[in-house]
This record gives sequence, C-alpha cells and structure tokens, in this order.
Amino acid sequence: MSDDADAGLIDRLVLRDERAFTALVKAYERRIFALVLRMIGNPAEAEDLAQEVFVQVFKAIGSFRRESKLSTWIYRIAINLCKNRSKYLRARHSGDQEPLDAQPERAPTMESRGSYSDIARPDDMASGKQAERIVQQAIGELEPSFRECLILRDVEDLSYEDIGEITGLPEGTVKSRIHRARAQLREIVERALGEKIR
Amino acid sequence: MTDAGDDQLEEDPRERDAMRQLLKRSLAVEALTKESPELVAGVQRRIRQRSRGRFFADGWGTTQSRVSYFLVGLMTLMVAIVAYFALGPWDMR
Repeated sequence: MSDDADAGLIDRLVLRDERAFTALVKAYERRIFALVLRMIGNPAEAEDLAQEVFVQVFKAIGSFRRESKLSTWIYRIAINLCKNRSKYLRARHSGDQEPLDAQPERAPTMESRGSYSDIARPDDMASGKQAERIVQQAIGELEPSFRECLILRDVEDLSYEDIGEITGLPEGTVKSRIHRARAQLREIVERALGEKIR
Repeated sequence: MTDAGDDQLEEDPRERDAMRQLLKRSLAVEALTKESPELVAGVQRRIRQRSRGRFFADGWGTTQSRVSYFLVGLMTLMVAIVAYFALGPWDMR
C-alpha cells in the first residue's frame, strides 16, 4: 500500500470509518497473521492474536502520529502483543509442568511451551522436511528479543531502520541481535542435523 | 535482500544466505499451517462486543455500503406517509 493510499486510509480510520477499517484488515491480514504465526508458532494462537492486533489498531488509530509508516506501526503493535502472549504462554506452561517421570521420552519442543510442534517425527526424518522442522523448533529456543529481530530481518525482509522503529531498539543493537540470533540458530540447527549448513 | 550492515559482522555471506533461505522455507506460512484464516469477521465481532454495539453494530457494517441504512429509512418514511393518508382524520363529506 503506497504512502498516499495510507494517508487517505488513516484519515478515514481516524473518523472510525468501518469500511476503511475493513479494507485495512483485508490489506494486512495475511502479513500480520504470517508474522504472528512465525513469532508464536501455533496457528490457533496466531489467529486469535492477529485478530487482537487489528482490534488494538482500531482502538489506537487516533494516537498514530504518522511519524512512521502505517505498516511499521501495525507491526509494532503485533510484536508487542506477541511478546506479551509469549510471556503468558511460558508462565502458563511452566505452571502446569508434568512430573518428569510422567513425561514420555521426546525431543524438547516449543510445543511444551505453547507453540511449535514436535520435530521428532520419524516420517519427517526420512523426508526433506527434517531441516525445516529443526529450524521451527530452534527458532522457538531463541531469546524472544533475538527471535523478533531475526524474523523481521531474514523472513519479513524489513530494513534495520524499520526493525529499529518496530522494536524500539537502536539500529546497532538490532544488528548485533540479528547477528547473535543467526549464530545461535545455526549452532542449534547444525548440532541437530549433524552437518554444516552451506 | 542483503544490506551493507549484514557484511559488517564477520559472517560468511554464503553461509548467511543459506541459513536465511532455510529459515524462510521453514517459517513459510504453508510450512506452519494449512491455510491463512480470514480475520475480518472475527475482528468485527470483537469490536462490536467491546464497543457494546457502537461499531459494526448490526452486521451491516460488514457490507460494502451504507445503502441499506438509506433504503430502510426511505421505506419507513413511505410506510408512515401511506399510513397517514390511509388512516388520517380526513373528512370526506
């Protein structure tokens, strides 16, 4: 969506134009769902959270100061809600841990913390999906602040400047977090795969 | 997409690009779920509930225009006019 189109849309959104808001949701729903899904890893949670992002957009559009792009502002809301939901899910799952002797033997997964699915599926091991599943698990093991920078950069293809605006971090910090996230991810994946990624 | 900043941090560009491709593939929406849901109806429902019906009040807000409001208003007016002439206190004598 161009800046001019955004400006017109924002004017209508501020006036609580329901048609404009519906157009906004339609324009951004796939991107926001994809971002939230990548951050959270669980489709049902992601759908719920993506809807909540747009509710927050509707509530807060009057406070949007137009200093950043509309998309950047929406991404910021999405990332903040993802952080809060991740914290909540971690707390909830740490509170209802099964006793160790009651747990079946399995690879540690993000599912046990509320997202991403178990990677240790024999059928997947035999297919080319193994590396993808390992990455999906590994991304869930990263520090959340590293994960968000890495996803925004390497998957969403955003600039460092945009990532800085979304996360509220200085550009240098964004770069170093991305660098460290890549290194951590590579280490986890290569250890699990038993080979280097080239 | 590459950026000058990526190269300032002692990474092998080939390894970085390979990792990036694997990450993109692994986190593609299709790799994580079967389909992207449509969010519009759910978002409108939440706003309707939380605003106690002030926004997206009756489902018409989900339609593409406000013509429905106009038509219903016009029809109500016509019914009132017809009723007035049909039942009004006319002295026909």
